[in-house]
Amino acid sequence: MGTYIGRQLLTIIPTILLSVVLNFLLLNLAPGDPARIYAGTETASEEQIEAIRRELGLDEPLPVQFISYVGQLVQGNLGESIAYRGQPVLDLIMDRLPATLLLTGTSAVLAFVLGTLLGVFSARRTPGVADVTLSSISYVLFAVPSFWLGLLLILLFSSTLGWLPTSGMVDVRADYEGFRHWLDVAEHMVLPTLTLTLIQIPIYYRITRGSVLEQRREDYMTTFRATGMPPGRTFRRYALRNALLPTVTVFGLNLGFVFTGAALVEIVFSWPGIGRLTLDAVFRRDFPLLLGIYLILAITVSLAILVTDIIYALLDPRIRLR
Amino acid sequence: MTVPTTTEAPVASGDRPLLALRNLTIGYQTQGGTVSAVEDVSLEIPAGRSVGIVGESGSGKSTVAAGILRLLPTNARVSGEVDFAGTNLLTVSEGELNRRWRWRQLSTVAQRSMSALSPVHRIGDQLNDVLHQHEPRLGRAGREARIADLLRATHLPERVLRAYPFELSGGMMQRTMIALGLLCQPPFLILDESTTALDVITQGQILREVSRLREQFDLTLMVISHDVGVINATADAVAVLYAGQLMEVAPRERFFSAPSHPYSQALVASVPRVRGQSGRLRGIPGSLPDLRHPPTGCRFAPRCLHAQRQCDDGAPPMVQLAPGHTVRCVLYQDQPEVTTA
Amino acid sequence: MTPTTFAPDPETPVASPAGPLARRRRGRALRIFWSQFVESIYGPIGLVLLSIIVLAAIFAPWIAPVGPFALEGSRFEPIGSPGHPLGTDNLGRDVLAQVVYGARLSLLVGFSAALIAGVVGVLIGAVSGYLGGWLDLLLSRITDMFLILPAFFLIIVIVATLGSSFVYVMIIIGLTSWPANARLMRGQALALRERTFVQALTALGESRSRILFRHIIPNGIQPIIANSSLLVAGAILTEAGLSFLGLGDPNQASWGRMINDGRSALTTQWGPSVFAGGAIVVTVIAFYLIGDGIAYTLNPKGRRVRS
Repeated sequence: MGTYIGRQLLTIIPTILLSVVLNFLLLNLAPGDPARIYAGTETASEEQIEAIRRELGLDEPLPVQFISYVGQLVQGNLGESIAYRGQPVLDLIMDRLPATLLLTGTSAVLAFVLGTLLGVFSARRTPGVADVTLSSISYVLFAVPSFWLGLLLILLFSSTLGWLPTSGMVDVRADYEGFRHWLDVAEHMVLPTLTLTLIQIPIYYRITRGSVLEQRREDYMTTFRATGMPPGRTFRRYALRNALLPTVTVFGLNLGFVFTGAALVEIVFSWPGIGRLTLDAVFRRDFPLLLGIYLILAITVSLAILVTDIIYALLDPRIRLR
Repeated sequence: MTVPTTTEAPVASGDRPLLALRNLTIGYQTQGGTVSAVEDVSLEIPAGRSVGIVGESGSGKSTVAAGILRLLPTNARVSGEVDFAGTNLLTVSEGELNRRWRWRQLSTVAQRSMSALSPVHRIGDQLNDVLHQHEPRLGRAGREARIADLLRATHLPERVLRAYPFELSGGMMQRTMIALGLLCQPPFLILDESTTALDVITQGQILREVSRLREQFDLTLMVISHDVGVINATADAVAVLYAGQLMEVAPRERFFSAPSHPYSQALVASVPRVRGQSGRLRGIPGSLPDLRHPPTGCRFAPRCLHAQRQCDDGAPPMVQLAPGHTVRCVLYQDQPEVTTA
Repeated sequence: MTPTTFAPDPETPVASPAGPLARRRRGRALRIFWSQFVESIYGPIGLVLLSIIVLAAIFAPWIAPVGPFALEGSRFEPIGSPGHPLGTDNLGRDVLAQVVYGARLSLLVGFSAALIAGVVGVLIGAVSGYLGGWLDLLLSRITDMFLILPAFFLIIVIVATLGSSFVYVMIIIGLTSWPANARLMRGQALALRERTFVQALTALGESRSRILFRHIIPNGIQPIIANSSLLVAGAILTEAGLSFLGLGDPNQASWGRMINDGRSALTTQWGPSVFAGGAIVVTVIAFYLIGDGIAYTLNPKGRRVRS
């Protein structure tokens, strides 16, 4: 298992480094003068720009700049935002990240559980009406843009039925405290979480269904059939565990997709997370903020994949014991 | 049809057969038509004997084995009779098959042992589970004692029980599968290419152990192999299968000293004289016929050096050459025909 | 040596090798492929859906002569109003025109991005798998990294940096979606490298680049074709997402921007958002279906499970 985790680290660490390099290159690619971008305003005077350039070492050759850039990153300095005048990028992101993680985490777990259950259910009933119906629904949900699904849900549950709040994380007029506050958050969470869960379910559904069907062809299934073990019992005791293992790795690989969906869904529901921040950054052409968001998400996703890989290794004896 | 003097079983023995296949025919339905995998096979295995089924890959050997335990895929169509101790296994219900026959009376040691158990469950748990399924009243201690006995009988260390399949060598995994096969102390065991994937030395060890276990547990065996050497080491009688047709059945000594069917002769001739080398089929040009459109008569005729025009006029009858020695070939049609009851 | 010596095992989903004799065989293989594709159920449905969308895109000027940007209607005209079968939006632009012109952009971006991802992925994967060694190690690592990194945010940053011309958008989407292709192609190249006909060609002194381009890539490309259909769908969704964020090309009608524009007036006029989203869903499903149809045709194992 040690060598396995070592190998995963050999992918994850360079991945994070690569995102840093990409960030640095993009910063230099950005239109205009990086110093001007850092200055954060169109109207900075030449002296100010010159001062920033010297301060940030922008007059040095690129490799030197890169080293000092990495040095800044390690100290947690991702530059200062343009849109949010002068605020440190890292603070802005860390401010919003919990709200996004609340959405992505909840929906990812819900989708994992529901998608897996439905996938098993469907595979057990193939060929059949239930399987065909569920497969068709999964096709449609897989094709739906997250932000559009969010709008449809707003149209249905809020505008028409008036059941749930459509925007924000809390009711700003009420300013609840304690338990009421969390209840308020939960109520605001329902629709965005539902949207994100619905778009992720097909991923787990399809992989689980395929994986369960795959087990039918495995030699051990024939062995147990030969021993006279009833198919239901063989399935519950053996096929299920074998079939569900691959879905665990998908959980990690799926996170990039979840963050994308979350960013767009947050905008639809005015959820105060990374998505809203991205939108602001795009509108204001706030490059330090955009690059910071990309970097933090790249690191978050990389680490999450590492964690799921370790969980997978713990679950699969073929990796754990090697 | 010649003199209908005898209805004696293909395998000579005074004993009542434990397993009798009667006109067993198995076809696979595919998009390209029905593949005739096994055609009208009749064979008897008396209690306590060991019958080897030999033939090249694709000859239908494993289909016969899967047909006996009813493990065929859903597109298979089976007719005929699988008579086990007086019960036709083809007509009992799936539930009864599971409760009374599979593993309690007949078990099998599969071809690819490395993948024959769940890769993510401990071997001990899987053995225990199978035993619990059939003998729930045995109790935990009883099950552990039974499994420990079997490990000793198959020369496996205790640690196998805590291991996962991937942690064992091919030879150990094969022993484990034999232990699994003997778990419910069945009288009948099918070894389906059980040593094919092993190296020659391990193969030799396992074959010697099979012979010993056969004595120890009073087993009746069906040994399936493409390797004539394996058959020679384990079987009392040899049945030759070619393209789904049973060509010859003979006691072992007779088969190796005086094979009668041209195909059998080629098989025996292919055994190298030097011990330790596995034989290859030399001197038989051509390949198995397309089983979607099998030859109308003898299925070996297209490759046979002695083929005659009448070989294509329907399958030749099984005729008896000597007690326990029958052959399906027009070269021997003056001999008495065997009929199946 | 007869050409049949090079014939690969007919069981595997790899077509016959290139060569004068093989060309005729390939024609026949294409016919067989087509007949199995038609059998796949998924494939033909997707193809019919796609044909409708393609026709709508081609004939957009005839279907909606007003064009997507003309402000000639009054605001919020209802569905079914004369001259505006799907109504107008908050600026009085014709919704039908925006939908059919949007199809042009979506298809263009989708196909171009998938093509770019195909070329890059096939080259990287084939070189990686065929040549092997340290180069393979390096390229595989890079492929894995790009698979892990959240591509959408990278695309956002790049588009925000370079500007949101749809040409940039499709190039950038293409350049960020090749890793899956590279993985598939690498697997194919690894398998083909060991095949008798490739080894025979090597023994005959065929150059490595010739083997790579004439034999490895043509014989291993099928899975990439199936995956490309999914990549078109993915690129269309990405473009819609970018336009929704306001990073789309302002000079092109785009479904994503329609949804965003319609958002503010969703309760008064749901038409623009709903029709644009519906168009995205139908188009994306069409490509998924075609991709699954191709995959089903190429993979007889999957066929058995589904039947």
